[in-house]
Amino acid sequence: MKAKPAELTLSLGILALGIATAIGTAQLPRAGGYARIGPNVAPAVIAGGLILLGIWLLYETLSGGWRNAVADDPAARGEHRFTPSGFIWVSLGVIAQILLIDRGGFVLAQAVLFTAVARGFGSEKLPRDFAIGVILSLSIFLFFVKFLNVNLPAGWLKPLLGGAGI
Amino acid sequence: MGETFGLLMHGFSIALTPLNLLWGFIGTMLGTFIGVLPGVGPALTVAMLMPLTVKLDPTGALIMFAGIYYGAMYGGSTTTILLNTPGESASIATALEGNMMAKNGRAGPALATCAIGSFVAGTIATILVTLLAPLVVEVALKFGPAEYFALMVFAFTTVAAVIGSSTVRGLTSLFLGLLLGVVGIDSQTGKSRFAFGVPELLDGIDVVVLAVGLFAVGEALYVAAYASRLEEKMEQIKGSLWMSKEDWKRSWPAWLRATAIGFPFGSIPAGGAEIPTFLSYAVEKRLTKYPEEFGHGAIEGVAGPEAANNASVTGALVPLLTLGIPTSATAAVLLSAFQNYGISPGPLLFQMQPDLVWGLLASLYIGNVMLLILNLPLVGMWVKVLSIPQPLLYAGILVFATLGAYSLHQSVVDLITLYVFGLLGFAMRRWDIPVAPAVIGLILGPLAETQARRALAISQGDATVFLTHPISASILALSFLLLVLPLLYRLLRRS
Repeated sequence: MKAKPAELTLSLGILALGIATAIGTAQLPRAGGYARIGPNVAPAVIAGGLILLGIWLLYETLSGGWRNAVADDPAARGEHRFTPSGFIWVSLGVIAQILLIDRGGFVLAQAVLFTAVARGFGSEKLPRDFAIGVILSLSIFLFFVKFLNVNLPAGWLKPLLGGAGI
Repeated sequence: MGETFGLLMHGFSIALTPLNLLWGFIGTMLGTFIGVLPGVGPALTVAMLMPLTVKLDPTGALIMFAGIYYGAMYGGSTTTILLNTPGESASIATALEGNMMAKNGRAGPALATCAIGSFVAGTIATILVTLLAPLVVEVALKFGPAEYFALMVFAFTTVAAVIGSSTVRGLTSLFLGLLLGVVGIDSQTGKSRFAFGVPELLDGIDVVVLAVGLFAVGEALYVAAYASRLEEKMEQIKGSLWMSKEDWKRSWPAWLRATAIGFPFGSIPAGGAEIPTFLSYAVEKRLTKYPEEFGHGAIEGVAGPEAANNASVTGALVPLLTLGIPTSATAAVLLSAFQNYGISPGPLLFQMQPDLVWGLLASLYIGNVMLLILNLPLVGMWVKVLSIPQPLLYAGILVFATLGAYSLHQSVVDLITLYVFGLLGFAMRRWDIPVAPAVIGLILGPLAETQARRALAISQGDATVFLTHPISASILALSFLLLVLPLLYRLLRRS
């Protein structure tokens, strides 16, 4: 039986992460301060663990696949085929929100996120989703800023929304 | 005993102030509301609602969290029964029979036996926590750093290696969490570790960001990719909500047995409500007078697992409060909520802040009563929540999830790490790598490091200290056996 590419990638990824951690650990200072074990001891243990686990996973991959793995066929898991657009729209939503939140403000960023995620789950009513997103995030914004006094960025809508406090 | 009673009464006097009652009420309602949402388990619920408590005093906030914690669990069982989508692995056993009951038009009694069973199990378990916690504290006060370190290793082993379908994948998850735990300034030496010059990473990675990333973003990515185009069939509640005399007769013993099974599993640092729920299901299946009903909606099969879940989750408060050791992802998030208030749970907490501890314990009793009174009459409202279309539901979950992560430090870096953890969560879900060990590793790893260092400082660098202290040595030996025996067994069976 041939090794599954995904399992191979993940196993090698864990192994690589372990090696990278070991390299990073080597650059950390040894003992220091009052502590008898320096800041490098725990990372060294973790690096060793990850390398061993990577090897273990690799062994399972090459000797018949990961044990007790879930079915590769989505139908056997009661799910449908991988839908790239779903994955991509949700990702785009989060990334757009990251780019928007500080400049455009919380309300706008969250409304865009809301719309994109709904799109990823198959909704085709973009204007409706955006409107719901604006109402939801505006309510959260006002609740946090005016009621809880927790600051959230107003961004481009600042002239409309004003600052914190009732 | 008498002393405990007095302290508990004092706790009630704190929890029953109108303001604290209000926080408890709000927590229960919000917890149920969020917990009802499909795909949202208690850990995510607590993490998402954390920003709401920033302005409360610690006691009020923790009372609210207790309500959220219980509400989230109860809400989850409603979803499990009506939609057959267990929000967490501990609900799978409930789903087996509960959803069949709903299909047979008996959703009402199924929901009722869950609610009343949760109340019975929750209340008995809370009494046990009240009685047990002071005893554990007595013992724990005698523990030194070596014993704590050993206990944490034990918790790591059970959470990562014993529970779940694969030892190696559980351990991988744990070590990923441990690795994330060392990111930032080392508390003892002030040296920065793996922060790559990013100032925001110097403070370390917040458990809330990891939990929300894995549970909310990862889940959304996964469901969008694999399960967003499925027809979901929600069962309607037909007929009476009330249980018949027969239902009562069959539920009672199941609740009590399940409490006896669930509580010990939760209260030793052996984590996970999953095993006791399945154990309770198996016990009920064996003891029932109606074996033919199992698989077609037997009420014992709902009453037992649900009560076991509740008892074990409540039992998990013993190690969390008395030792500061979380044994589930939810407890890990709760611990981080404690830490945000500068509270470190452990035996000293009982001495230093008795108001807080006993107010919290008293509010557990109140929370249970509130849930019982509120939820059955309000079940119609929760069902409406369930009928929100999936696109809007997940869009809303992500709006709240990112809010929870962002409002911690008002930092975009937290949102970027959130998305990275989302991708990780997607992969972990797809290839069946459990996420709870990572969450526990992140919060418990640094604590274990601190204890190890203290132990070595006291022993003047002698590393045998962990093996010469009898308690520490036996706990470590037990952990080692738990890890190695199943592997040996498998090797022997093969040859």
